[in-house]
Amino acid sequence: MELYELNLLMMTEGLKAKKFSASEIFESCKKRIDACEPSIHALITRTDDTMPTFNENGALAGIPTVIKDNLCTKGLRTTAASKILGNWRPPYDATAWSKLKDAGSILMGKANMDEFAMGNTCGNSAFGPTMNPNDTSLVPGGSSGGSAAAVSAGYVPFSLGSDTGGSIRQPASFCGVYGLKPTYGMVSRYGLISYGSSLDQIGPFARTVRDLQLVMSVISGHDNMDSSSFSDRPHDFSYNEKASVKGKKVALVKEFADFTLDAPIADAMKRTAKILEDEGAVITEVSLPVVSKYAVACYYALAMSEAHTNLERYDGVRLGYTVKDARGIKEMFERVRSHGFGAEVKARIIAGTCLTEPTRCEEYYVAATKVRTLIAQEFTRAFGETDYILQPVTPSMPGKVGEVDDDAMKGYEADLYTLPVNLAGLPGLSFFTGYAGNLPVGLQLIGKRWSDSELLDTGIILENHLGSPRIANGGVK
Amino acid sequence: MYLTSEEVNEIALESRLMLTEQELAGAVKYINNFLDALQCFKELDLKDVEPFSFAEAIECPLREDKVIPFADNEAILHESEHVDGSYFKVPRIMEE
Repeated sequence: MELYELNLLMMTEGLKAKKFSASEIFESCKKRIDACEPSIHALITRTDDTMPTFNENGALAGIPTVIKDNLCTKGLRTTAASKILGNWRPPYDATAWSKLKDAGSILMGKANMDEFAMGNTCGNSAFGPTMNPNDTSLVPGGSSGGSAAAVSAGYVPFSLGSDTGGSIRQPASFCGVYGLKPTYGMVSRYGLISYGSSLDQIGPFARTVRDLQLVMSVISGHDNMDSSSFSDRPHDFSYNEKASVKGKKVALVKEFADFTLDAPIADAMKRTAKILEDEGAVITEVSLPVVSKYAVACYYALAMSEAHTNLERYDGVRLGYTVKDARGIKEMFERVRSHGFGAEVKARIIAGTCLTEPTRCEEYYVAATKVRTLIAQEFTRAFGETDYILQPVTPSMPGKVGEVDDDAMKGYEADLYTLPVNLAGLPGLSFFTGYAGNLPVGLQLIGKRWSDSELLDTGIILENHLGSPRIANGGVK
Repeated sequence: MYLTSEEVNEIALESRLMLTEQELAGAVKYINNFLDALQCFKELDLKDVEPFSFAEAIECPLREDKVIPFADNEAILHESEHVDGSYFKVPRIMEE
């Protein structure tokens, strides 16, 4: 077994027992990146030239990682996969990265993503697409496709992504790794380049659920620099060997029963429900009529409105791509933004501007905020009747790289199973259930707010039955 | 059709975006499809529903209104091509 194949727990334990050194781990991961990166292109920037010094006493001492390129890294290029940020080097670190660094983790690179996290294929990047490490003709999912692909291919044992409407859970499922979208407010968003601020949340990818626990124990917690971060909520992610689902209720969503799923996903739903039942859980049903019919429209109305506001700041004055020969400020802004943003981002900015204009604001934006209230209330009612909701991550298996649906709304509808979680600020675990041929199949377990720790405990029970994913081939011949 | 291409172009310019003819045609289709999808909100009775603000009550954290100098102004200024001394310098603001 090569060292890069070890999961996070095995690496930390092996390092503590001095079975191998941090520099051996570093070199092994670097070689793996060299071998796979030409085929899967998971990274925008590599930072593995030489091994840096690190905190040798930290919980993640000497453990390599990769973080999504919308997380600010002091003095190191941060692009959000957009031309408009150019070679911007932030003057500060994102809190989540700062915590990893303080814990001794070593950054191997910044991961590719859809531009400003807008997309679900990792194909909307100014740096070109990332390919799925299980089959390089397929997409890895997005927007955190580079972070998921890096863990799946064995570049690193864990990585960070961000999830605004499924951007951790969907690529985790497509690449065959575990991904957690934490409760909104559990991980500081300070230093995360904003897309939809009321929806964005940073979370981890790993090849075991236990490893997700280890990362969450480092990155979660209150931060004075994020006003949506909570100070008095549970952040205990220690391993609970007595965890059980006996007597717990796990619900399927009544309205989703009529929706078509690809056969491997439908099969995984049946198998997983049976496992939980055999473990003593009660399989039940909840009704989410507003979620099933209105969540997609509500989500995109809000995400685009927030994106339009958040992306107003990119004007070429203080950082990134610019022009030097504009005759006035208006011309400068127009030229910078028109050439700096990609097509999907421009479309969403225009849509967001349209929805929030005074003449349309009440009809669209305000209406969407009210629909969001109904969706949050619906989940609160549902979690009065059940402990977890089990559902797909996506209705379909990953598509081909470069395939674009002519009707954007159809692509957005594929996010139905993930985006309601963000609208209600809930935690969602994307977990591996097995392989269909060469491709991994993932599902999703959703819990009530602040149940992240129990959600991961249940994820470990599922992993014990379903098995852990193998390291993907990574396009190596 | 909810918006004409002239109206979409006007909105784009408000967002400081200039679109090519091809981009504009795509944007018109995109926005109109999107607005069509949002018509479903009309099926709901939203009259007495409060707009969503946050998933649960959170106290707005306040801090003293006091200037705290940033440790490394140079790192900020270094990233811009429009710097004059310790300020950003922008092209003329007044239209001719």
